[in-house]
Amino acid sequence: MSLIAPSDGWFSKRTAKDERIWILIAFVLCVFLFIWMIMWHVVGKQNPSNTTYKTTTEEFGRLHDAYVQKHMVGMDNGIPVVKPEPNSDVILMGQMWRWSPVLILQQDEWYNLHISSTDIVHGFSLQPSNMNFQIYPEYDYVLRFKPTASGEYKILCNEYCGIGHHIMIGKIVVVQDDSELSQYGYDPNTFEKTRATAGSADEDISGWSEAQLVEAGETAFNIKGCNACHKTDGTSEIGPALNGLFGSTVTVTEDGARKDVVADDAYIALSISDPQRQVKVGFEEIAMASLELSDNEMKQMIAYIKSIK
Amino acid sequence: MFRTCDITGFKVDLTSERLIRLNAVMAVVALLLAIVGAILLVFTRYQPVHLLDAEWYYRIVTFHGLNALIFWIVFFEIAGLYFGSTVVLNQRFTYPAFGWVSFILMVAGLVMVNVMVLAGQADVMMTSYVPLKAHPLYYLGVILFAVGALIGVILFFSNVITAKRTKKVGETLPLFTYGLVAAAIIAVITLSTGAVIYIPTFLWSLGLIEHMDPAVYKLVWWGLGHSSQQINVAAMVSIWYLVVFLALGGTSINERVSRTAFVLYILFICLASAHHLLTDPATSSAWKVWNTSYAMYLAVLASLIHAFAVPSSIESAQRRWGFNKGLFDWLAKGPWGNPAFSSTVLAIIGFGFIGGTTGVIFGMEQTNIIVHNTLAIPGHFKGTVVIGTTLTFMGITYYLIPLIFRRKIVAYRLAQIQPWLFFAGIALLSVSMIALGQMGVPRRHWDSTFSGGPFSFAFNPAVDFFFTLMMLGGTLAFLAALIWVLQVVVSVFFGPKVKGPSDMQVPISKLAPEGKPVKGYEAPGTLLLTMLFLVTFAVLFFINWKWLAAAWWVE
Repeated sequence: MSLIAPSDGWFSKRTAKDERIWILIAFVLCVFLFIWMIMWHVVGKQNPSNTTYKTTTEEFGRLHDAYVQKHMVGMDNGIPVVKPEPNSDVILMGQMWRWSPVLILQQDEWYNLHISSTDIVHGFSLQPSNMNFQIYPEYDYVLRFKPTASGEYKILCNEYCGIGHHIMIGKIVVVQDDSELSQYGYDPNTFEKTRATAGSADEDISGWSEAQLVEAGETAFNIKGCNACHKTDGTSEIGPALNGLFGSTVTVTEDGARKDVVADDAYIALSISDPQRQVKVGFEEIAMASLELSDNEMKQMIAYIKSIK
Repeated sequence: MFRTCDITGFKVDLTSERLIRLNAVMAVVALLLAIVGAILLVFTRYQPVHLLDAEWYYRIVTFHGLNALIFWIVFFEIAGLYFGSTVVLNQRFTYPAFGWVSFILMVAGLVMVNVMVLAGQADVMMTSYVPLKAHPLYYLGVILFAVGALIGVILFFSNVITAKRTKKVGETLPLFTYGLVAAAIIAVITLSTGAVIYIPTFLWSLGLIEHMDPAVYKLVWWGLGHSSQQINVAAMVSIWYLVVFLALGGTSINERVSRTAFVLYILFICLASAHHLLTDPATSSAWKVWNTSYAMYLAVLASLIHAFAVPSSIESAQRRWGFNKGLFDWLAKGPWGNPAFSSTVLAIIGFGFIGGTTGVIFGMEQTNIIVHNTLAIPGHFKGTVVIGTTLTFMGITYYLIPLIFRRKIVAYRLAQIQPWLFFAGIALLSVSMIALGQMGVPRRHWDSTFSGGPFSFAFNPAVDFFFTLMMLGGTLAFLAALIWVLQVVVSVFFGPKVKGPSDMQVPISKLAPEGKPVKGYEAPGTLLLTMLFLVTFAVLFFINWKWLAAAWWVE
């Protein structure tokens, strides 16, 4: 009895026939399930990868920037687009709050996706295929994918990553051949040109025109993911909108005291390199991470922000 | 100081009784907080209402998770452990001072955590994956609570050992307490793992430790997070056996089998923390397969054994009471007017058919890819922790109110329908969440329309239907839980006092008469029901693998 010991003891009693049958069936089921998982590695086509590399958030961020600068073929809603070669190593970065870059893949070809985060834990959720993986900072997770159907796919984030979690959504387009690209709004004729102009970190840019600086600045702005939080259409859901910023007067908090500053070159540079020094009033809740830019990138970025009306 | 119970004849230590009461009251408080959070969340996910803003949505997810999964359940379990180690063994409460220390630490932990969460200092979800960082007092609150609970568990052992030494129990512990010992051993493992992860995290939040590895954190954290749910399983199954005894005077056909199953839990169930790392980097497939299968599914085997042993103990007792006609007369003629009995049967059905099936399938290395972090996961554990554990705890409370609080249950008619309402609500909620998850809808996600994002995504249009069902199920479950909370509070504080056996509304059965020795099947009805379960499992199993096989190739 469950509250009193059985009168005839419980240890020597024989098991009932039906109970024996059930335990046998249950045991066979358990062994079957165990073997099934192992067998799926042999015959199945969907198995989580065993390849992981240790990395750092800084290193992976640099890898991403370099990869995108080298392979970028366009821009899609402010996110750089890359069309990797089949069987190549592809960098996909999760960051508060975007997946970068957008990928154009060939159906039925293999790609080695290196996925990691530059800040906190994210969830890679490929829809509508519904495949979900956990993405960490400091770990480069290598998932070898073969898209089996063409179409437009989205990458949701399904691990809580802060207030902008729901806007963290990326994109993968799978095509059978390049003629389908126009269906998704891409123009393959511009791919080469974009690839050529992206990336100017080490060049001498002292002779560049303002227009060149602005163009390169916009690219850097998008690669660094500023546009995930800073919109240029006047909406300020997460970070302050940047249109019309240059030359305006901004009320900020510095060392606990409020003051008005004019948004000039120095203010923009400081807000990028040390964002917590002067925080715009109304945006204290969500801290921006400081951004390390090369001198060239800073110059280009300031030129671009100045140009947004 | 003892009183002798005029209903059961057990000797009840008054200190123990007071501690059981206090822990149970705190459990009910935590459940109330949890369900208030739950209804806010349901109406936020239900997009036409979209009640909370993003900040408060995530805050309340954190709040709900902690109060439901940790505070409600652990407070109730501590009450249960005290009950199982003193009252039913006629044993005094050893070291009562530590019982108070445990209680005070746990209450302090609960208050600290909830204050920090509601103050917006810990928007980190229950899991608080690093490098997300909360206020140090949040981690300290969790640590205090865990230490308090650990002291409670140690007191349980102390009581049981003293009862053994002083020959209050004979050769062996009663099955109910035996099951609780399993739960308590798992609790020690769980709470120690909790200390291993929360103490460094606390130091890290203070700035004393520079760096926490996110993958190591998650691995160790789930040693707490998942294993704590296995305490629930062991405690819940123990209560099922207790209810069969109280309501029908029956027990397992063969206690040796049931006890062996509890031992299997102790040995293997804690490996289950691997379920949370199946789609993670850093661990190998061999590690995943071995651990997620709890060493070749030996813990699942234990659950399957109980899945037969508990219903068959009902069947065998009922047959001995004379309900011997056909295959299912025993079930039809069950004491359905007894809310503890109906809660137990409904909990078994829900836990098995919803929570159990999805738990095994979603917990397999590869199928986890199509559900990881989707709504199907909370859908699954609504089927285990809510339909299973919570409904079971609600049911046994109908015995605790008259026996421990010595009060009559106010509006008893309502208690008789409450388990059905709660079951229907949670079943609807759980199944619709699982359906939504299998269509890719993420969990812990404020806006399924992705407004403000660079792109958008439209789920299968069927999600609107299931979101509506989820809202309806959630509302029904909320109301049913609220009825239970109000009924318990009103009964305990204002109900008429129980003066003797005649005031007992929930019947306690005499021992079922000895049956004739059975040659063939002792519980043919149960065998048929478990076969039905097997077929359901097989169907769900192959559907999920079919869906997985349709996904992109990945290796």
